[in-house]
Amino acid sequence: MAGGGFDAPEAGGGKGNKHKQKKGAGVRIDMTPMVDVIMLLLTFFMLTTTLAAPQLMKISLPKGDTKDKVKVDMGNVLYVRCSDKGNVYFSDGKSDGSETELKKIELKNVATELEKLFAKNNNLLLLLKFDRKMKYNIMADIFDEISRAKIEKRYAFLKMEEADVQKVTQAGG
Amino acid sequence: MKKVRDIRKPDIKIDMTPLVDVIMLLLTFFMLTATFKAAESEAIEVALPQSVYSDPDNKMKETDVLTLSLTKAGDVFVDVDNYKIREKIFGEPFAIGLFRPDTLSPSPVATTGKVGDKDVKRKVVLMNKAQFEKTLVDLKNTLRSLSNNKNANFQVVIKGDKDTEYGVFEDLMASLHESDNKMFSLVTTIKADKKE
Repeated sequence: MAGGGFDAPEAGGGKGNKHKQKKGAGVRIDMTPMVDVIMLLLTFFMLTTTLAAPQLMKISLPKGDTKDKVKVDMGNVLYVRCSDKGNVYFSDGKSDGSETELKKIELKNVATELEKLFAKNNNLLLLLKFDRKMKYNIMADIFDEISRAKIEKRYAFLKMEEADVQKVTQAGG
Repeated sequence: MKKVRDIRKPDIKIDMTPLVDVIMLLLTFFMLTATFKAAESEAIEVALPQSVYSDPDNKMKETDVLTLSLTKAGDVFVDVDNYKIREKIFGEPFAIGLFRPDTLSPSPVATTGKVGDKDVKRKVVLMNKAQFEKTLVDLKNTLRSLSNNKNANFQVVIKGDKDTEYGVFEDLMASLHESDNKMFSLVTTIKADKKE
């Protein structure tokens, strides 16, 4: 290109460029309006777009009717209780229906504790008993921990009965 | 004329082509990644909990999503992304269903028309437990009849507020089980993993 100035079109057939420009008078397109529009579009899309796709944690409820009873060996049960204050307690079920003392587990250690327990007994079933007054946030955290633990996920949501509340209160609330 | 101007201001020009190229690339990127949110879907604002874990095979679908928003006050809002289905079930294309598991205290939405400090601009259809469960079934049936697909199903996602009481979620799970929605997902935002 001849490298002519912005005002080259005006100078079409002008005196200076005669030698270099034989074909067509220096046609140039002023890009400024286009850039303006593109900038506007860019700003629009940058502001309206939401980049972070929400994450999903899948929960499956047992199939079948609530009336259907499933027989579970109580020796293979791990109770996960959570108090209204958000403290997590584990206790192992025993085959005779009783259970061990409640053991307080730090929320951030739930995954590793679960992995330890599943290493001993791979058929564990988690029975989740959460206090109704507990925050949803904590449930999501516990579920996050369960999902991250490298274990086969078998769990059931059970109602927190009065007896459970008492047990949890005894263990520290 | 021309010569005079040229002398006064020497020919300084900036080549805008690379700039335009880059801007074009950015524009294309944002245009392709953009997902638009309808203004009405933002009416129910919840502070989502965070999670590290994210199911790699379980992504939010583009269509046929049934959203259940749990607010701090203990209300459950039912919404689907298809306005035709909303119109059939709730009577208006932009209406939204409201179910309050706690029957003892009234929903603050009914009196103030607000969730948190945001106005709910949509018509709210109040439901009791039985109506809510029936609605969940009706929604699915409407989706199936509209799409002429007997197996069409919603992706049920739960957007719970951090500070919602678990009891609300427990009641909601019971209703979901009752209305044969055995699979659902919790929506969370990304939390950086500090342990690994």
